[in-house]
Amino acid sequence: MIKLEHVGLRYGVGPEILSDVNFQLDPGSFHFLSGPSGAGKTSLMSLLYLGRRPTRGLLTMFGQNIGELNRQQISKLRQRIGVVFQDFRLLNHMSAFDNIALPLRINGESEKEIKANVEELMEWVGLGDHRYMLPNTMSGGQQQRVAIARAVITRPRLLLADEPTGNLDDEIGLRLMNLFDQLNRMGTTVVIATHNVALMEQFGYNRLILQDGAVRLMEPKKSIKQRLEGIF
Amino acid sequence: MFSHFFKKSKPRSLGVSKTKRRYDLPLEKGAGGLFLKLLIGMMSILAVLALAASFVLSAMTERWTSGLENRASIEIPAQDQNGKLLSTTEVEALVKEVEQFLKKHPAVLDIQVMSKEEITSLVSPWLGEDMTYDQIPLPGLISLRFREDVIFKPESLQVPLKNIAPQIRLDTHQAWLSQLLRFTGSLNFAALIVTFTIGITTIIAVAGAVQARMAIYHEELELLHLMGAGDRYISSQLQRYMFLTAFQGAIIGALIGGILLLLMGWISGKMDITLLPDFSLSAVQIISLCALPLLVGMLAMFTARYTVIQTLSKMP
Repeated sequence: MIKLEHVGLRYGVGPEILSDVNFQLDPGSFHFLSGPSGAGKTSLMSLLYLGRRPTRGLLTMFGQNIGELNRQQISKLRQRIGVVFQDFRLLNHMSAFDNIALPLRINGESEKEIKANVEELMEWVGLGDHRYMLPNTMSGGQQQRVAIARAVITRPRLLLADEPTGNLDDEIGLRLMNLFDQLNRMGTTVVIATHNVALMEQFGYNRLILQDGAVRLMEPKKSIKQRLEGIF
Repeated sequence: MFSHFFKKSKPRSLGVSKTKRRYDLPLEKGAGGLFLKLLIGMMSILAVLALAASFVLSAMTERWTSGLENRASIEIPAQDQNGKLLSTTEVEALVKEVEQFLKKHPAVLDIQVMSKEEITSLVSPWLGEDMTYDQIPLPGLISLRFREDVIFKPESLQVPLKNIAPQIRLDTHQAWLSQLLRFTGSLNFAALIVTFTIGITTIIAVAGAVQARMAIYHEELELLHLMGAGDRYISSQLQRYMFLTAFQGAIIGALIGGILLLLMGWISGKMDITLLPDFSLSAVQIISLCALPLLVGMLAMFTARYTVIQTLSKMP
């Protein structure tokens, strides 16, 4: 589904942030992306959500070589990707409802469909009473839930999340991780960039470790969940 | 009747937005839109005045030239080329001779010899009503109309007329008419240049406003872009916004321009200026002026589209 072969990325004439990145994400897989601060996680994520094109190497997504696609085709591919940004990137002039509805409107869904889907998801993420709230008047946790709801509302084929549970309390964080888990079971490929070791251990998925501009794959340790299942 | 003006508006809850979403970008924020509306309004006033001036000039030209096509007049002065005064009988004899010649000419459709009374009424404003015209030798005047189906240069009459009497003058109106037409034509051209300049200024103002907005809302634009919004989706929002802004500004401008035109028409009516035609506009001209806001809106819309597409093409 996603394949990076000898991919490199640099900004302008600066040094390479990513050098010779090679990995493949199978459809329906779930990966955590981790690594030390400044290793280039955000840069790698920007390549995956097609915010940038690699300066070298081959990036293949959904069976298409990104380097050969035109702007319109790239836009179509982006509609299949849901992104939760670290800084949420919510539109402050719009209500929480309209922020979540935005990807559906871009995809050209009907207003009736949008209303039904957005209201259901807002209830689910615990924002049912905050429909008309403007993001800049919401708490960090609430904003994060709006950002996550916006990323998953279209049931994307690829979900990318940069520290998605950073501002959330344990209960909500776990609930949202379960949402990602459910989406993954329905076939969405998920990549979550995080520093949270406990979270990675709790959900024992493969880890992509980014270090010195390159990526290595680490098999998961048995998750707490799996270990508990082994005992009982 | 005006109670709703004084009605207290509902208290607004801070941080809540129940209004219908119009644009994904915060285009309606800030005073930039109002500034652009005012600018386009002013441009539209100038455009209405320039167009109306062009219409009036066209009407003046039409009025001055209508009925002069295929026409000429012949003057038989009551004085020969040596300065000797001719008697009324001599002048009448020359008129008769010219009339006979013209009647036989294949290109002449009809001729009208002006009577003594008609000539007297023409010169009386200069010489006075109480003048005894029997004592003054009056010239002979003949008005003639040429056939439209015969290809013929009226100037070619000059030689045979000179043969009858060298002092006879043929006036085809071309000399003064061409000067007048050149003058009104250059004024009309100036009015069109003003209209064209207003159009160019509108394009520059709209393109600048679009670029400024795209720079201010770069992050929001990038976000829409990353969500898969195509160039057409993004540009349609700015197009709609610019069309409505320009259209509203142009309507206000056109209304003010219209009021100014009415005022000018009323003033020229009061001043009894006979040189100018009536300040009334034809149905086509009124429609043209009414269509101005729509044209300005469309111009703004296409400018916005072009600018947005150009700017977006630089994004990854």
